[in-house]
Amino acid sequence: MATPTTTAPAPGAPAAAGQGLDGVRRAKRSPELRRMRLRRALPGYLMLLPFAVLFVGFLVWPLLNSLYFAFTNYNGVKPPSFVGVDNFRRLWLEDERFRQALLNSFIYVAAAVTLTTALALTLAVAFRGTSWRDRIMRTLFFLPAVTSTIAVALIWRWIFTVEDFGLANTVIGWAGFEPVQWLATPRLTIPILVVMAVWGGCGYGMVIFVAGLNAIPEEHYESAKLDGATSWQQFWYITLPQLKPVTTYVVITSLISAFQVFEAVYIVFRGVSSVGGVQDSGLMLVPYLYDMGFTKFQLGYASAIAWSLFIIIFIVSMIQLRVTRALREL
Amino acid sequence: MRTRLAVAAAAAAITALVAGCTTSGGSDEPAQEADGPATLTFWNTGSDEHAAALQAVADIYKQSHPDVTIKVQALSWDDGHAKVLTAATSKTGPDIISGGMSWGIEFGELGGMLDLNTYDIGTIKQQTRPEVLKAITSSSGAVYGASFDNAFYLLFYRPDLLQKAGLSGPPKTWEELTAAVTKLKASGVKTPLVENWNTFEWLPWFNWLKQAGGSLYADDCSKATIDTDQAALATATWADQFRKYGVPKAATDSAAGMANGEIAMAIDGSWVANAIDTAHPQLKGKWQVAALPTGPAGAGTFVGGRIIGVMSYTKYPKAAAEFIKWTYTDEAIQLLQKEVYNRAGELWLSPRSDQLDTLNTTDNIKQTLATTMETISGPPHCKGWEVSQAEVTKKLQSVVNDNVDPKKALSEAATIMNNNLK
Repeated sequence: MATPTTTAPAPGAPAAAGQGLDGVRRAKRSPELRRMRLRRALPGYLMLLPFAVLFVGFLVWPLLNSLYFAFTNYNGVKPPSFVGVDNFRRLWLEDERFRQALLNSFIYVAAAVTLTTALALTLAVAFRGTSWRDRIMRTLFFLPAVTSTIAVALIWRWIFTVEDFGLANTVIGWAGFEPVQWLATPRLTIPILVVMAVWGGCGYGMVIFVAGLNAIPEEHYESAKLDGATSWQQFWYITLPQLKPVTTYVVITSLISAFQVFEAVYIVFRGVSSVGGVQDSGLMLVPYLYDMGFTKFQLGYASAIAWSLFIIIFIVSMIQLRVTRALREL
Repeated sequence: MRTRLAVAAAAAAITALVAGCTTSGGSDEPAQEADGPATLTFWNTGSDEHAAALQAVADIYKQSHPDVTIKVQALSWDDGHAKVLTAATSKTGPDIISGGMSWGIEFGELGGMLDLNTYDIGTIKQQTRPEVLKAITSSSGAVYGASFDNAFYLLFYRPDLLQKAGLSGPPKTWEELTAAVTKLKASGVKTPLVENWNTFEWLPWFNWLKQAGGSLYADDCSKATIDTDQAALATATWADQFRKYGVPKAATDSAAGMANGEIAMAIDGSWVANAIDTAHPQLKGKWQVAALPTGPAGAGTFVGGRIIGVMSYTKYPKAAAEFIKWTYTDEAIQLLQKEVYNRAGELWLSPRSDQLDTLNTTDNIKQTLATTMETISGPPHCKGWEVSQAEVTKKLQSVVNDNVDPKKALSEAATIMNNNLK
């Protein structure tokens, strides 16, 4: 007499109750069942195939390539030669321009992300409603997020140009001040870039915050009002804690885009100096990567910068997530 | 199943990585001349109008070379450098390119362009000014790109504004230049002098360096010579124009400034001469041009412009080189001058100074161009300069912005340049 475990159930039939786990596993392994599952899943996989091919071809493959190039000396034309960790050693231990770019990036990121988040939250609280005024204001503040970054950068260049038609010099001229060489003054470079980032980013953050604000149950506020909480107390003890996941999202996305700033530096300051502005006062990591890769043809070194940037963003994001989690557990 | 998928994914990743490791863009075999008619693609860095003018000239070339068809495409200055690198890497793209003066050596040493010496370019070399030839010849003696057209600094000015300030003519020396700036300021001109073309970088400073008798490297590229007394004098004088005389550190539209009377003098690229009358017709006849003021060592002017070269992967190296040689003939230069002027309203400055007389422009401009061409110097071709220039620029800028002693800044620049020479 054959034991139940040796008897395969009919294709597609559920395993008999007495057959136990072994029977279920065997049934799952049966070729007929596998074929049937494959037939059922095949259209799905076929539909995924174009994406998968593009994903592998244009993301995974270039990523793996750049990781390999980061350990090579590669000029783009001659075959790459393996140099081990030399690129990373030179980058982190010897390269002054990289240090300058790193320092500039951290200052810029800290200022831009803090101000963007704070302003986005303020705007969201101010214009969270459904009235026409709120809708128009939200649209106005969101416009920079859907405007071409190149066009925006060119407008900022016009605003800060040294010539009289520059808006900034025109405005300070009305007050009787002498024209300022905004873009050629190193101490003004980062503040100008921060202003541009906050102006361009706060509308996007505002929309996310508005969605978060509208998801907070109204009952919380009603209870708080009954308990006599002031508006500030409601904001501090209800709104902010409830917005923690949204805030985390806004901060991390702003942080990543701030670390990857390129167009602003490249376009706005090119009328004054080559990549990075006067005395590299506006040199950031991505413009430096571009300079080394596509101006100086050091593609291996540029790949090392790219992977260093990835590691920096990854670590900073992890720290931010850990801090957020710790705050939530308090 | 999941394990197998993971193994398959890992295998695919390793295959991709190995494929990446072997990426070299194709065969490194030298290009061979194909038989039969040749169709050459020519990426010309510049405007659409320039490309159209070159196409018209290339079509005339076809009349005497029926087997050779040249298709000219415009390549913008903004992304031309990266596109040519991509073409060199993938070994697909144009047969001929034109681009910045340093591109020949840059792409040639990467293996992306052919050494034209192989194609008997003796005549071209003879017709190119020695300083320009030096700038386009690599340290190994290879010429990967012949000089196609030239661009150099000139002094543009408004004679009426100078006269109003009590000046009889354009400044001819450093001293006269600073005196002119002071007088023009006193007469109410808002910005007496601007300096463009890579403003506040090493390029315009190079004019001052040459006028002071300095140099960047020793002739044999054995060491940097940027830390001499002549270079310190040039740097101090260059810095003073920003600090004392209010020359803007940011680029300005000098033609527009001269048109509205806010700018009296502009040290700018020779191409500006092409555009002033077109962009500001009201200025016609109201502006003049002069050679740059001389320094203690005499005259000196940086020369740039475009090179023309052949990509290493082309199937038609001989046909491409023959076309380049033809661009040095009287016929080709005069056709280029005519077509570029008719289509773009610009002057085509051939590297052959004997062809300046045939330009469609005023005698004043022709004379100034001819005088200046006698004093031009190209960028250095020494190893490491491409990497060093950003650092050198920073040191120069620190003299203006941070009052760093010129000698100290130049000594630091020399250390960087010498390190990159190794």
